Amino acid sequence: MPATGALKRVIAPLIDPVAFDFWAARVNPLLSWERPLARVVARQVTARDCVTLVLRPNRHVPPVQAGQHVPVTVEVDGVRLTRSYSPSHVRASHARRRGGRKDCLAITVKRIPGGRVSSHLCQEVRVGDVLELGEAFGAMTLRPDVPRWLYVAAGSGITPLMSLLRAQTAATAGVDVTLLYWARTRADLCFLDELRGLEKAAGSGQPGVRVHIILTREATLLPGEYSGRPSADLLAQLVPDLAERQVYACGTGGFVDSLRTLLADQVAGFEAEAFTLPERAAVVGAPVQVTLRRSGRVLDIPAGEALLPALEARGIHPKHGCRMGICNSCACDRISGTSENLNTGATQSEPGVVRICISAARSDMTLDL
Amino acid sequence: MTALPPAMPASVALKKPGRERLSREQVEQFGADLDALRERTLADIGEQDARYIKRIYAAVRYTGALGRGLLFFGIFPPAWLLGTLLLAISKILENMELGHNVMHGQYDWMNDPRFDGKTYEWDIVGTSDNWRKTHNYSHHTYTNIKGMDDDVGYGVLRLFPEQRWRPFFLGQPLYAVIFALLFQWGVAIQDIRLGRYFAGRMTGAELREEFRPTGRKMRRQLLKDYVFFPLLAGPFFLPVLLGNLVANGLRNLWTFMIIFCGHFTANVEVFPKSIIKNETRGQWYLRQLRGSSNLTGSKLLHIMSGNLSHQIEHHLFPDIPARRYAEMSKEVRAICRRYGIFYNTGSLVSQFGQVIWRILRYALPSKPVSLEGKALVAD
Repeated sequence: MPATGALKRVIAPLIDPVAFDFWAARVNPLLSWERPLARVVARQVTARDCVTLVLRPNRHVPPVQAGQHVPVTVEVDGVRLTRSYSPSHVRASHARRRGGRKDCLAITVKRIPGGRVSSHLCQEVRVGDVLELGEAFGAMTLRPDVPRWLYVAAGSGITPLMSLLRAQTAATAGVDVTLLYWARTRADLCFLDELRGLEKAAGSGQPGVRVHIILTREATLLPGEYSGRPSADLLAQLVPDLAERQVYACGTGGFVDSLRTLLADQVAGFEAEAFTLPERAAVVGAPVQVTLRRSGRVLDIPAGEALLPALEARGIHPKHGCRMGICNSCACDRISGTSENLNTGATQSEPGVVRICISAARSDMTLDL
Repeated sequence: MTALPPAMPASVALKKPGRERLSREQVEQFGADLDALRERTLADIGEQDARYIKRIYAAVRYTGALGRGLLFFGIFPPAWLLGTLLLAISKILENMELGHNVMHGQYDWMNDPRFDGKTYEWDIVGTSDNWRKTHNYSHHTYTNIKGMDDDVGYGVLRLFPEQRWRPFFLGQPLYAVIFALLFQWGVAIQDIRLGRYFAGRMTGAELREEFRPTGRKMRRQLLKDYVFFPLLAGPFFLPVLLGNLVANGLRNLWTFMIIFCGHFTANVEVFPKSIIKNETRGQWYLRQLRGSSNLTGSKLLHIMSGNLSHQIEHHLFPDIPARRYAEMSKEVRAICRRYGIFYNTGSLVSQFGQVIWRILRYALPSKPVSLEGKALVAD
């Protein structure tokens, strides 16, 4: 095990964390000086194109609350890529209990056609592989003060809600949750058996868990299934006591927006998280918002204009050198957004390093400046 | 494919082959050909390059650990010798194929913090931050421009007749030897430009302030190689200390030789400041080419030189993973042939011989050569 606490602080100046990790990984790939890593201890296909990976984290993985998202980093074709998933806790006894101090986390990944990370996690990752995790984020966590819940999920938006449901039903008996779960077809539903099981466990007459499945592209519906997009009628039909419920919703931006319009005034409380879809590139000249994370400034800059001179014209003077894309002095991290390399015309949306002297913003963007 | 450039009129032809001035259009076409090669190569970069740099990292670690391990038994001469050699190899690999190339941002596309050009810190007394400024920016942008690229003689050597002779340079064969032995210290203080202090353009307080990060790095490196590891060896303190000293020295000599072969062979040129006025991409490429020279040799030579044996390709494409230069050099040569441009390459013995010749020759006074009006294109 790596040194702990005081000892670690004392020897830290002597340690090169990268070299430490290099040698530690020869012993155990989960050992690291400071990187949060997790080993895949089980893999299960949960639906079509949907895989659940059970992960055993090392000691550097910060605690994760039910309903939060965790950045997962994998290497695909030599490039490290990061996506966020909503893990649910699995008691360590369910997986191989080694070390035993920490529960395992389970992430469910739905493969998106053309999605490099989801494809890699679904198709390439095997038991024994090691993934890098980041710090958990997200505000839709357990709230014991709320008596009645309405969870609304679309597609893979089910995962944070599933993790909340698991935590709630494991901890207390008298939960009162209604879940509306939208998916395209029956084959796209994740956790269906588990959800039905939770529903039955409550017994009749008890509040318990109620699950309604709504399928938008299924030709024939089974009893208990519904169709159509979110509408006031459908919501009123499925959830008669809307006004008493606190809503947590998770889905794409468009889905969450339409729910907010329909529900925000009708319910006891409304919170939602939307997963972002790739932003469309702004046309050249259209203003985009460039956020400088370190200085906290937000600027409007025309899309397609080289970032370095544009920032300089606005009184910001980032470190730079050759101004022609050679010396790498102005390289900085693009945390989000799409940039265009003005020398080649290639666009890049993956978080990573960008040379601002030869790059332009093609969408709203956050830079580590 | 590009049409062959028209034959040069006799009046334009200069004495050295391949030094005929091209027309503006030819230079831009030459640049476009190189850009096309650049794009083709970039499109192919991926998993194999990532695997390569990780292997280099592993080689640095294994040779380093083995070398330092053997030095603990340095009381036995064969162990000392092998340990010292392995440690020198580890340091050379780390400085050249790993550190130098990573700091150019060649592996930034991996998004791997271990190989991040902005933050990588290398195993020499100079700080990476100073290097990124003097080397990545000054040297690579203003390659061989007298007065802008500090690497032209490093402020202590006269290597070109275009540099003004002073009696001070009579001693340069000696300075060159000292500089080679202490190369890492030269690199470390290059950015501080002590000349400014001696010329009174910088106060002592400013100098101390500027020197602080470098001083910290020097202290750390000295403690590591000359205190920590020797102490770890207990009674064998001295052999370990000596081994580390010799390994650092070998690395200094090797890097000095490779770097000097890259820019100071007989046919390399220097340029006046005026050359960057309105310099186009094609002209920038051409200046890089004419200010650099390659080494021919085995794959081992290429790896141990951090592929700076392909100095020309490195200067044309400083941000492309260096392991690609060997492959690219074939096309660069073909492009040069097409435009009748001299491609400067030769064996280590021949190229380094030319460097030594320059050091000796230009220690002595020579007829001044003016750079005024020197241009890369014929108008």
